[in-house]
Amino acid sequence: MTPRLFWLVYSTETRKLMTYRVDFWITAVLNFVVSITVPYFLWTAVFESAGMATVAGYTLHEMVLYYCLAVLLGRVVRGSDQLRDISTDIYEGSLSRYLLYPAGYLPFKYAQHLANLLPSVLQLALLGPAIAGVIGLPASVAISWGSIFLALAAVAIGNALYYLMSFTLQTVAFWADNIWSLIVMMRIAASLLGGLLIPLSCFPEWAQAVLAWTPFPCLYHLPVNALLGKSTFAQAAAGLATSLAWCVLFFGAARLIWRRGTLQYTGVGI
Amino acid sequence: MNPPATPAMISAHRLSKEFTVHKKEPGLRGSLRALFRRRYIVKEAVKAASFEVNEGELVGLVGANGAGKTTLVKMLAGVIHPTSGAASVLGYCPWERDNRLRRKMALIMGQKASLWWDLPAADCFLLLREIYQIPRPRFEATIEMLTEMLEVREQLKIQIRRLSLGERMKMELVAALLHEPRVVFLDEPTIGLDLTAQRAIREFLLRYLREHRPAMLLTSHYMEDIEKLCERIIILREGEIVYDGPLARVVATYAPYKVVTAHLDGAQGAWSAESAAAALGGLGEVAEAAPGVVRLHVPRAEVARSAAAVLRELPVVDVTIEEPEIGAIIERIMRERGGAER
Repeated sequence: MTPRLFWLVYSTETRKLMTYRVDFWITAVLNFVVSITVPYFLWTAVFESAGMATVAGYTLHEMVLYYCLAVLLGRVVRGSDQLRDISTDIYEGSLSRYLLYPAGYLPFKYAQHLANLLPSVLQLALLGPAIAGVIGLPASVAISWGSIFLALAAVAIGNALYYLMSFTLQTVAFWADNIWSLIVMMRIAASLLGGLLIPLSCFPEWAQAVLAWTPFPCLYHLPVNALLGKSTFAQAAAGLATSLAWCVLFFGAARLIWRRGTLQYTGVGI
Repeated sequence: MNPPATPAMISAHRLSKEFTVHKKEPGLRGSLRALFRRRYIVKEAVKAASFEVNEGELVGLVGANGAGKTTLVKMLAGVIHPTSGAASVLGYCPWERDNRLRRKMALIMGQKASLWWDLPAADCFLLLREIYQIPRPRFEATIEMLTEMLEVREQLKIQIRRLSLGERMKMELVAALLHEPRVVFLDEPTIGLDLTAQRAIREFLLRYLREHRPAMLLTSHYMEDIEKLCERIIILREGEIVYDGPLARVVATYAPYKVVTAHLDGAQGAWSAESAAAALGGLGEVAEAAPGVVRLHVPRAEVARSAAAVLRELPVVDVTIEEPEIGAIIERIMRERGGAER
C-alpha cells in the first residue's frame, strides 16, 4: 500500500466519522463521567476504611488522576469500537471486495483504525486540560516534556499492539463463525492485566514481575505512569521494548494466520 | 499457415470446490447436542468445471440456486481457493492474488455492496483511483464516460446509502470498471432492480463489451439478461457443467419439438379442454388444454402434418407455430437430475 493511499483511507474514514456528531459528544462526556464515577466512589471508600494516606503507592488524589488518564489515554490505545470489523468482514463475506483490491488488507484496516482514533484524541485534548484544571495536579506529580514523550511513545506502541492483538484474535473467525466471546475476553484481560480496572501496583510483587513480560502493561499502566512520572526512564524503556517485541510477534502471527485463514475463506454462500 | 490462436482470457480446468458444512438438528435439543457433538457434511459445490472465455466474449453462467455459479465465479476471481483443479485468468493463477492481475480484473456482486455506505460515490471513486493507481486524466475521462452512459452523473455527490437500488447498482458498475478491467465477473448484476433499471444495465453492458472487448462471465437468474446479453451459455446443475455452447443450440439440443398453439372457436360445439386433448393427443404432447386454447409440443419433423390435423379436427380460429421459450428450456435443464449431456 502506498503512503498516499494510506493517507487517503485515513482522511476518508475521518470525514465519515465527523458526520456522527452526537456520538462524539456522548462518548466524550457521558461515557467519561460514567467510567470515572464508579472508581472514584470505590477508591474514596477504600481510602476511608483503610485510613491510609497511600494505597498501592498512590494517594487518593493520584488515584483519581490515574483513572481519568487511564480512561482518556486508554481510548486512544484501544481505538474506537470498530475492533470487530475484521471478524465481521470475514463472517459476512465483505472481505471479498478487499481480496480483489491490489492493496493489503491489514494496512487498509489499520489506516481506518487510526482514523477512528481522532475522536478519542480530540476528547483527550479537550478533557485532559479541563480535568487537570478541575481536580488539580498533586504536588508529587510533575509532568515534564520527557514524561509526555514517554507517554506518547507508550500510547503509540500500545495502540499498534492492541490493534495487532485484536487483528490476530479476529482472524480466528476464518474457522469459528462467532468470536464475540473471544473479543470480550481479550478486553476483560486487557482491562484487568493492563491496569484499567485497578493499577498494576495493587497486584502482588510476583504477579507484577510476571505481568511485565506480557503485552498488557503497555496498554494502560505504562502510558499513565510514564505521564505521571511514576515510572523511571529505565522502567518505561524496558516496558516499551517488551511491547515492541510483542508487536513483532503478533504481526508475524497475524500474517501467518491470515495466510492460512484465507485458504479457508468461503465468502459466504455457494 | 493459421496464426496461433489467442490464449483464452479465462480458463478453468477441472475446477472443484467442496465445503464442509455443520449440520444442526432443529430446536433447542439439536443446539444442545451440537455443543458436544457436531455433524459435518461435505458439499460439492463445483465438480470438475472446465471451460474457457475469450476476449470480447460475454458468457452466461446459469443454474438453479445452489448450483455453484457464485462459487465458480469466486474461485476465478481469486476470492476463494479451489479444492482441486487449475485456473488461469490473463495468464495468472487467480487465488495467488497477484496485484498485476487484480489491476486488470473486476467482480461485481449484485447482492453485496462494495462501495462505502457512508460516502458519496465521488469519494468512493477517488479512493478506488488510488487503490488501482489510475492516472488522473484517464480516471476523469472514464468517470465522465461511465456516468454519462449510466446516467448517474447527478448522483455523484450523494451518499451511497441515500441512492435508490438501481442507482447504487449503476455506481457499483462504475466503480468496478473505473480501472478498465480486461476480465469482468458479474454475479447477478440486475438482481432486485425494476425493469427499466435492468434494461439500462443490459444496454450498458452490451455497449461496454462492444467498445472495450473484455472477457465477461455473467451469472443471472433473469432469463432476459441471458437471452439479451449472451451468445454462449454454460449451464450448471448441482455443481456440474451440463451444457456449454451457443445459446441458440440449447433449443435444438434440449427441445426437439415446436409449440403449436390452436385458438378454438367456442361457438362451434362444446370443445372442452379434455375433448380437445383426447382428439389431438396422438399428434404430440399436450402442454396446455384450456377452454378455447390447446397447446401442443410436436416433434420438429411432424410439425406440418400435426398443424394440418389440428386444422382438420378442431374448429380453429387461429393457429401459431413457435420455437419453445429458451428460458423455459434452460429452467427445465436446470431442474432435471442426471443424464447430463455436453
